[in-house]
Amino acid sequence: MITALSPAVRVEGVSKWFGSVVAVNDVSFDVYPGVTGILGPNGAGKTTLLSMMCGLVRPSRGGVRVLGEEVQGNISLYRRIGVMLEHDVLYPFMTGRDFVRLAARLQGMDDEAAVDRAIHAANLEDAQNRPTGTYSRGMRQRIRLAGAIVHEPEVLILDEPLNGTDPRQRVEFSDFVARLSKEGKAILISSHILEEVEALADRILLVVSGKLAASGDFHAIREKLDERPFQVRIGASKQREMAAALVALDSVESVSLDENGNVEVLTRNVAELQRMAPKLAQDIGSRLYRIEPLDDSLESVFSYVVQR
Amino acid sequence: MIAALFILALRQAVTRRKIALLIVLAFLPLGLAVILDSTVAEGGTLIGPVLGGLVISVTLPITVMVLATSAFGNEVEDRTLSLLTTKPVPRWTIVLSKFAASVVVAAPLMAVVAAVITMMDPDGVGNAPVAAAIGVVVGVVAYASAFTWLGLLTTRALGFGLVYVLLWEALITSFLSGTRYLSIRSYIFGTAHGLNDQAFGEDLTIAMTPALVGAALVTVVFFLLTTRRLSRMDIQ
Repeated sequence: MITALSPAVRVEGVSKWFGSVVAVNDVSFDVYPGVTGILGPNGAGKTTLLSMMCGLVRPSRGGVRVLGEEVQGNISLYRRIGVMLEHDVLYPFMTGRDFVRLAARLQGMDDEAAVDRAIHAANLEDAQNRPTGTYSRGMRQRIRLAGAIVHEPEVLILDEPLNGTDPRQRVEFSDFVARLSKEGKAILISSHILEEVEALADRILLVVSGKLAASGDFHAIREKLDERPFQVRIGASKQREMAAALVALDSVESVSLDENGNVEVLTRNVAELQRMAPKLAQDIGSRLYRIEPLDDSLESVFSYVVQR
Repeated sequence: MIAALFILALRQAVTRRKIALLIVLAFLPLGLAVILDSTVAEGGTLIGPVLGGLVISVTLPITVMVLATSAFGNEVEDRTLSLLTTKPVPRWTIVLSKFAASVVVAAPLMAVVAAVITMMDPDGVGNAPVAAAIGVVVGVVAYASAFTWLGLLTTRALGFGLVYVLLWEALITSFLSGTRYLSIRSYIFGTAHGLNDQAFGEDLTIAMTPALVGAALVTVVFFLLTTRRLSRMDIQ
């Protein structure tokens, strides 16, 4: 039984390297009941971290305890853990129901009602008797989820669970996860999409380049992310006059000219820049061609947090 | 639980492509036996060149290799292995199910082929077809255990398996008599010879007891190695 006081998952000084490549570097954190999001760009080490939490990958250093027990080689612990990994894998010759039934059998359960409940939770009653080879990506995700929850685990580890789902399925999934969270289960969800995690998780673990860059309340971290300066490229005539006018704005941190004569602006307030740039161009008689963000990628957001 | 794993392994083993390949491998020596049947009338034999030279030395190990190396190899490649290893299932039961599925598919097929070829030979009298079939089953079991391990160990299991079969089993153990105690092919001949010493000559054979002990040792050792490997490997 997990409680709000004892961590459902404890990761202690975990590192993992594959040859000379360090996938995870000295990461420590605790996961408590509720929804915890593991957020990071592709290749950040999220899947390796989750695989170590599932006992599928052995840490090169450090250890992982789930529900107070060492996870590595602890086969009986899988009665209390539900796992859905990122890879979109199923047995194509099986129907959806057969797949969930197999998951139940391998949990030592001979309970068709549990299979019904899991399929209902995944909202796949209508398609349950079709071969999974005919499923859409979203349906495949949901039947794998049904397989992961059929034994009603205390800890649920879901790697990129919303891949391939449509907006309606995302809403349903959010409701489903919220329900499990209220039941006191610990749910770990990884994603590289900020908004996905925002919609689901109470707490986040921000992983960048194999390291834990930040952890804690989602909203506090989101605020920190929103404070970061953005780089914007402005194409205009009279570039030097335009640069001089832009640097006078309070929100602009720096201005430079690139090799093509465009003005590159570092600003903390993109909205103000978008509002003021046309006005400034008009004032100095410059023609404005374009305003484009240069670094709105998730990687740049994460890099900023790491640098902080 | 073991039954569910076994049925899954069996369904994975009997894909259309594999069945087609197995039928070709099985009918190739039978076809050759029919063609060579005329030489039998002139004092030739089918047991030596067809059963020994083709079935036991080539098609049997290749048939088992195709099935057993893919038992884990395909699961590692398509990443379905994690579906099993994140369940509270002892690793040895997963290995047993894969191993048993390979044996259940390959053993009857190869035993029938061996028995039919032996029956076509004038020397294949008495219990010779049964002896050939039992010898072949012993070989299937030993090969299945070794190739299941190889399939989990490397993604190039078929290549390594072919080198082992053609170099070690078919070539080296034919010329260096001392190495026959380490040859699955010799365990097959030894078993068949022990059951019928008239149909199966003494060349290339060892006595039945060391043959059976050797086959059992190979089976158990590789079974344990596969279980150990599955318990310790990183599954991505």
